[in-house]
Amino acid sequence: MTQTHCPYCSLQCGMTLARSGRTLQVQPWPEFPVNEGALCRKGWTATGLRGHRERLTTPLVRDRATGELRAAGWDEALDLVAQRLIALREQHGPDAVGVFGGGGLTNEKAYSLGKLARVALGTSQIDYNGRWCMSSAASAGNRAFGVDRGLPFPLADIEQTDVVVLVGSNLAETMPPAARHLDRLRERGGTVVVVDPRRTPTAERADLFLQPVPGTDLALALGLLHLVDAIGAVDEEYVAARTNGFEQVRRSVAAWWPERVERVTGVATDELRALARLLAGSDGRRPRAMVLTARGAEQHSQGSDTVLAWINLALALGLPGRPFAGYGCLTGQGNGQGGREHGQKADQLPGYRMIDDPAARDHVAAVWGVPAASLPGPGRSAYEMLDALGTDGGPRALLVFASNIAVSAPNATHVADRLAALDLLVVADLVMSETAALADVVLPVTQWAEETGTMTNLEGRVILRERAVAPPEGVRDELEVIADLAARVGSPVPFSADPAEVFAELGRASAGGPADYAGIDYERIRAEHGVFWPCPAPLDGRSHPGTPRLFADTFPTPDGRARCHVVEHRGAAEQPCPEFPVHLTTGRVLAQYQSGAQTRRVRDLPDEGVFVELHPMLATRVGAYDGEPLTVTTRRGTLTAPARVVDWIRPDTVFVPFHWVGANRLTNDALDPASRMPEFKVCAASVAPLAAGRRRSPETVGAAR
Amino acid sequence: MRSPGRVVVIGAGMAAVRLAEQLVSAGARSITVLGDEDHLPYNRILLSAVLEGTHRAETLTLRDAEWYAAHGVDLRLGVRVLDVDRAAREVLLADGDRVPYDRVVLATGSIPTLPPIRGLVRMDGRLHERVHAFRSLDDCRRLCAVLDRWDALGVTTERRAVVVGGGLLGLQVARALGVRGVRTELVEGGEHLLRSQVGPQAGGVIARELRRLGTTVYTGARAVRLGETDGPEGGRGALRLDNGYVLDTDLVVLTAGGRPSTALARRAGLTVRRGVVVDDRLRSVDDERVHAIGDCAEPPGLAQGRTSGFVPPAWEQAGELAVHLTGGEAGYTGTRSVARLRASDLDVAVLGDPEHAEGQVVEVTNPLAGSHRQLVVHEGRIVAATLVGDLSRIGLITQYYDRGSVLGPGEPGALLMADRPTRPAALPDDAEVCACAGVAAGAIRACSSLEEVRDRTRATTGCGGCAASVRQLLATRPSLVPAKGSPS
Repeated sequence: MTQTHCPYCSLQCGMTLARSGRTLQVQPWPEFPVNEGALCRKGWTATGLRGHRERLTTPLVRDRATGELRAAGWDEALDLVAQRLIALREQHGPDAVGVFGGGGLTNEKAYSLGKLARVALGTSQIDYNGRWCMSSAASAGNRAFGVDRGLPFPLADIEQTDVVVLVGSNLAETMPPAARHLDRLRERGGTVVVVDPRRTPTAERADLFLQPVPGTDLALALGLLHLVDAIGAVDEEYVAARTNGFEQVRRSVAAWWPERVERVTGVATDELRALARLLAGSDGRRPRAMVLTARGAEQHSQGSDTVLAWINLALALGLPGRPFAGYGCLTGQGNGQGGREHGQKADQLPGYRMIDDPAARDHVAAVWGVPAASLPGPGRSAYEMLDALGTDGGPRALLVFASNIAVSAPNATHVADRLAALDLLVVADLVMSETAALADVVLPVTQWAEETGTMTNLEGRVILRERAVAPPEGVRDELEVIADLAARVGSPVPFSADPAEVFAELGRASAGGPADYAGIDYERIRAEHGVFWPCPAPLDGRSHPGTPRLFADTFPTPDGRARCHVVEHRGAAEQPCPEFPVHLTTGRVLAQYQSGAQTRRVRDLPDEGVFVELHPMLATRVGAYDGEPLTVTTRRGTLTAPARVVDWIRPDTVFVPFHWVGANRLTNDALDPASRMPEFKVCAASVAPLAAGRRRSPETVGAAR
Repeated sequence: MRSPGRVVVIGAGMAAVRLAEQLVSAGARSITVLGDEDHLPYNRILLSAVLEGTHRAETLTLRDAEWYAAHGVDLRLGVRVLDVDRAAREVLLADGDRVPYDRVVLATGSIPTLPPIRGLVRMDGRLHERVHAFRSLDDCRRLCAVLDRWDALGVTTERRAVVVGGGLLGLQVARALGVRGVRTELVEGGEHLLRSQVGPQAGGVIARELRRLGTTVYTGARAVRLGETDGPEGGRGALRLDNGYVLDTDLVVLTAGGRPSTALARRAGLTVRRGVVVDDRLRSVDDERVHAIGDCAEPPGLAQGRTSGFVPPAWEQAGELAVHLTGGEAGYTGTRSVARLRASDLDVAVLGDPEHAEGQVVEVTNPLAGSHRQLVVHEGRIVAATLVGDLSRIGLITQYYDRGSVLGPGEPGALLMADRPTRPAALPDDAEVCACAGVAAGAIRACSSLEEVRDRTRATTGCGGCAASVRQLLATRPSLVPAKGSPS
């Protein structure tokens, strides 16, 4: 019996793995407070990849003669990788090697990967797929609060608030056990508000549902702040005592009156007013409220400003730091939080330190035992690095860990071209993902039940993933792979492959940084059901309790106040036009996870394949029928998939899930200027039944007349 | 960016501020804004919401004084402009100051027209004390002060008001007074309400709704004379209509009509029809250094002799002009207007010009529900619409209108129909009940207890959202074996 956590989303549900004979069973772990024994079908079937025939168990090397991947030994594969990396570095400089990490890696692996890049390879070119996930909220959180921790309170606090506003989150499908907290809130008499272009299963649980045009959540927030101020519901005392810059923000929303907001967002003024009244309270009683954003609001070219606008609203209402109230981001990936804290992000060092901060460089370099001057500066963000692959000055080799770029990157056809232009592509994965299939060298690595390490869930709770079974023969833990590779490329310092050792080193490297892990160890995590950072090292022999709730007295900004930022609605980078008249948005379904590399291979999870969701009115217009093939076209690509005619989506919008190859051939690579987040959540598209795809007729939506 | 030189904006309304903002963000450095009111520029269109009490007056201010200072905008308030001297390229102020310009922008807005009512204006040229205009923040404050005084005395509900004018502003003011508790009557000279926007049928529905909310409506009637009556509680105004009615009232609010403020332009010798005539770059047709935007301007693309009177076109013109002044390429092609009535319990939206737009009309009138909705469709696109009493789907209809989306032939009709309920009454066996574990209704019906459901199917063990449905399904499970003791 091993108590560990689900391999998938940021909830990191506790689960018990029990061996019976050769099989490994998932059983509840009722004491773990985040999910209290509940799991969704992804969790219950998580052992489905154990002993799977598609599991990789030997390194693969692309044969020059045949062009096919063939089995190779670890020494051969790693020598080959090391030799070619060294050669490229000598020929083109250290930035000729890029490293691409993932939000599914443990903290220890993410940390080692960052160290591999900065110390062993000396490259600035490292980033990870979390850039496409939480980066807008991260950027906004840092600017407003001086820290980026997804939730500043435990998830269960939701049950004790009065109003929770979910902006662009479908948690009932993406992290189902979290929805239990919503239900308990409602049983207590609390109110749930959902903002989403689709009436999702989460919206079905809402007391108030707002259905904006994709890409207009920012304008909605501006309009809400306008109304909150108009009716005198701003918490003036809080704003004066705990924030800076609010007066400019207040003026900036004077021009966002409800009817203007209605026209931009497609949300009727009555609904907007209803939400403003809910947040303002009545009879002089100020409700506790939580504003929670997720990818729906964040994956936009104005995503970080969108989050800032919702934070402004939360600050105006005096929420952050109050008990059972505040702003939070619902992180997506399993270790999306920890993965962005320990140095696999282009601009960061461990402990959420910034790489261009001289003090941070000195501290981390001292822990690593290298001169601070030897550390590279900030590199390219995830998409910008991919965009530069194989170009002059761009990386010529790419090491990919825990990411399936070929499926998950925006404008995926272009990204596939860039990957093809590389001199060397190395992919570490457990199965032959779409990206691994393009690689020159594939390295088989462990999955969750076969390894030990920490993850940091959406609450900032550091939890322990514990090894329950030995990996199949031939498979190695990424920590070993990274340490071995570091040695082979001539790292000036040795790398440990022992997770507890690496975690202790990570703690020292993070000490004094915003995400301080120095006081956390595996035993404490086991004993306390996780420890919330910041948790500095013991002082005078007394251990720090960890920090479940942030901001009660102060914000970690230089003057202790939260900062309000004036933001303006710019709109999506791509607007509908006669040729591409509808909005395309993308997202997830319950039974699949991320690029689907794992979940699509789990037999007990339904793999229905990609589909196109559209409203009956739009279906009638274009002549689409439920289940019949429908072609979606954008300026970047085309996808044909069965239509799903549903009434829960806006009639001017179509939805495609992104777990399969195809959705991201359509999506736009326009980036947020602050977070470098691509605009996954909205672009302009046309839809037509397959038969009519090439014919321009009045029935074709895309027909310009 | 090309520097536009010294830009002087005459007027400090919403168009003027928008222009200043756009010029600042484009990098222009010398901007002077001349406003005749004493207040910092404010959001004029929310004045009726302030009167109604749904908006605090302080929140109308668009920018703080510090903003103008910080961005190099010389904002001069309470100044009266006498003339534009085009030869000298100077703006002449009443205090004798002369402001030189490279470009001058007329953003003077519109001025209310006084209806021909005898007794409206006193001998000294000022309005009768019972009579209020409703155009500026000062007007609004004066009217609010009257209501506040009445509230303090506890007499508001005994007081009466007459609103002259049944346009958007008149309806908003009438509704605001009604919400505040004043017994309100509304007089409109035309045959129906909102006649510059909608047809008689929609106007009739609005009148009925307004009456239902307690406001008496007189259409086809003009106020001709304001006198005084004597009463037990003191004097009241007596507003005589041309149909013979005399309305006792404590208050008369004038909302009827405004016209573009063009006196400066006329004196400067510029071509003026209804507004200042400008080309598609918002330049006066007579002088390339003179521009006009907003309510005082008459750009091409507007119907002959009409100016728009709404904020979105004024803003769009401001944006276009800013681009043009800073060296960009832009041409004003006209804006789609959406007029939204801003008043509690009175739902009206007018898209474009439904009375004059060319196209086919799809309409649904439901007198039982007090709604009238009409879409004007041309080549598949919604080119105009009237929505009264039912604004469901307004967020979609305005999107289609603004974006010029081409709809299918059945779609405009479908847009006006109610949503159908989509959930079947009884779940078929193959309907998924628990999405988390992927369990269908049949599998749950096959279980006998909640515990069995949990153990066998794992339904309810994820998000827990299906618990209620599961309990319901277990309760409705057909029993194959009759319970003992029950009659067979």
